[in-house]
Amino acid sequence: MMKQLTKSKELWIFIMLIVLSVLISVRSSVFLRPDNLIDLLKNNAVLGIMALGMTLVIITGGIDVSVGAVVALLTVLAGKFMVTFSGNLLLVFLVAIASGILIGIINGTLIALANIPAIVVTLGSMSIINGLMLYYTNGSWINDLPTWFIDFGKITFFKFTDASGNMVGIPIQIVIFLIMIFLTWALLKYTLIGRAVYAIGGNPVSAKRVGINIGRTLIFVYAYMGFLAGVAAVTHTSIMRQVDPNAFLGFELQVVAAVVVGGASITGGSGSVIGTVLGVLFMAVLNNGLILTHIPTFWQKIIVGLIIILAVSFDVIQRKRMEKSLPRVDVEY
Amino acid sequence: MSKTSKEMILLYVFIGLFVLMAAISPAKFLSLGNLQSMATQLPELGLIALGMMVVILTGGIDLSITYTAALSGIAGALVLSTGYNAGIEGAAVMILIIKALLATLITALLCGSLNGFLVSYVGVSPILVTLGTMTLFEGVSVWLTKGGAVSGFPEQFQWIGNGYLGFVPVPILIFIVFAIVTGILLERTAWGRSVYMFGCNPIATYFSGINTKKVVMFVYLYAAILAAVAAIIMISRYNSAKVDYGSSYLLQSVAIVVLGGTDIAGGYGKVIGTVVAVGIVQVLSSGLNLIGINRFIVDVTMGALLIAVLLLNYFIGKRKQEKGVRKEAKKTSIAA
Repeated sequence: MMKQLTKSKELWIFIMLIVLSVLISVRSSVFLRPDNLIDLLKNNAVLGIMALGMTLVIITGGIDVSVGAVVALLTVLAGKFMVTFSGNLLLVFLVAIASGILIGIINGTLIALANIPAIVVTLGSMSIINGLMLYYTNGSWINDLPTWFIDFGKITFFKFTDASGNMVGIPIQIVIFLIMIFLTWALLKYTLIGRAVYAIGGNPVSAKRVGINIGRTLIFVYAYMGFLAGVAAVTHTSIMRQVDPNAFLGFELQVVAAVVVGGASITGGSGSVIGTVLGVLFMAVLNNGLILTHIPTFWQKIIVGLIIILAVSFDVIQRKRMEKSLPRVDVEY
Repeated sequence: MSKTSKEMILLYVFIGLFVLMAAISPAKFLSLGNLQSMATQLPELGLIALGMMVVILTGGIDLSITYTAALSGIAGALVLSTGYNAGIEGAAVMILIIKALLATLITALLCGSLNGFLVSYVGVSPILVTLGTMTLFEGVSVWLTKGGAVSGFPEQFQWIGNGYLGFVPVPILIFIVFAIVTGILLERTAWGRSVYMFGCNPIATYFSGINTKKVVMFVYLYAAILAAVAAIIMISRYNSAKVDYGSSYLLQSVAIVVLGGTDIAGGYGKVIGTVVAVGIVQVLSSGLNLIGINRFIVDVTMGALLIAVLLLNYFIGKRKQEKGVRKEAKKTSIAA
């Protein structure tokens, strides 16, 4: 059991996260304050929600580079909908989620049925969606969101007063993130389709032989990514209280990086919700810590880059060593 | 080339688009000025796409290629701007420019060897390695420039990006030379054959006695060299160097390579396909711009074109396969 634990990637990320947090809290007293930690989680809830969906996509051995464009489009749709029709919260969620799922189904269908690699399909849809969205908005922001929506974004639970006398509580955005974590975790762990996701990524041929419908599973995975993009879009808008069509430029690679730091294997078959959440937290803490300790932000890029390189190299070297210690059945490559 | 090969279809699309644009606004589109500006804009993306293609042929991808270009361009720019003052002229300027070109090339080779080492010798998947190095190179670039632009180059240096030989812009000549070199390297050398073989089946290539690690290492080095050439044209054309120059070329270059018929899983792809695909993208964006169509709609058209060409390839491939199956069936029925 202990041995299994030390071999798990999640433990290593967790240790790195703790070490990083200790280093930062030594240099900055603000870091461990409840309001800072809550802000940190709130500001990374959107990245986290998107990373959950990307985890599923990456487990199947695919990648979705259109997510930045999709979530940008969904914020614009949700924003326009609220400004034009007012409506209510449920309808806003419904508009964003339904549109997200629709885009996901289109991506998934092209990938699964026309057999075009995921990176290519999503590159194409990224270009189309981004172009349409910028043409429609002309890059201008959407302001004047209805007050009921702004009030929704301000909802906090478990309010308490901390040591320095500030009122703090858990904002609704963190609660949404937690619900999505639980939903994705349960989906992967306890449903047939969740097991199918792992099976496809591990070995598509055997997955097909045991009777898994690969096409339908892939479409589901991209639709789920779209669903989460919808949730993320509304969450983002509730934090920002306005819509900037250019807010998600280059966001797709951040999402992929968080999932990869979380230990998901890009060739598919492995990855976990816990790992991804730790990956998101790691990126969030690093970013926050560098700001708090007044280290120039380019260091964040350099450190994240080095960590990705070291983490993935370490992983490969460890796996190679493990393979060597196994009894050899096949010819060695 | 057969009539329905991917490259021929692309060539028809290219000619069709060119004729269409020329027919819609002959005075503007066919003017020397427009043709020259197209020939000046195309090479940067074209060179990066060629580098990306070579990597994709091995079944990999180089997400760091645009930041390799940015970082190496910044290195060259720093050499130029620190070494240049109003006093120097003549031979001293030439030596300075050569030094800057060398600095650009060496920086790019360092970037490429880091990628190559991690992919081939350590064995990490290319998308992860280059995702990491992309972030790393971007960080180093910002660190070197503090986020600003590096400028103050000698006038002679601008010739590379803005000069003409006769009426032909210099960048397009550089692009043609490198396209031919890439073609020869891939089609006519042992390394080139190994690249295709590795893309089809790395294990079989390894067992046929080829040093696959060296082959892959050289792939990333060559992509870095092409990125450096693109960087030189870029900093010369803008007369400055900055982190985000060319960053939009990353996913565009992947799209162009795929549009050009290269198999994203590796093993198949031709230089001519990539070159024609760059041409299509350039004609489309310049042409639509001239007609006055919103540039965002140009993006939409590109995305739609990418998916359409792939769907077309898929259906043609399927039909060919079905035909093959039918022929086989006939043969067996005769034999029976």
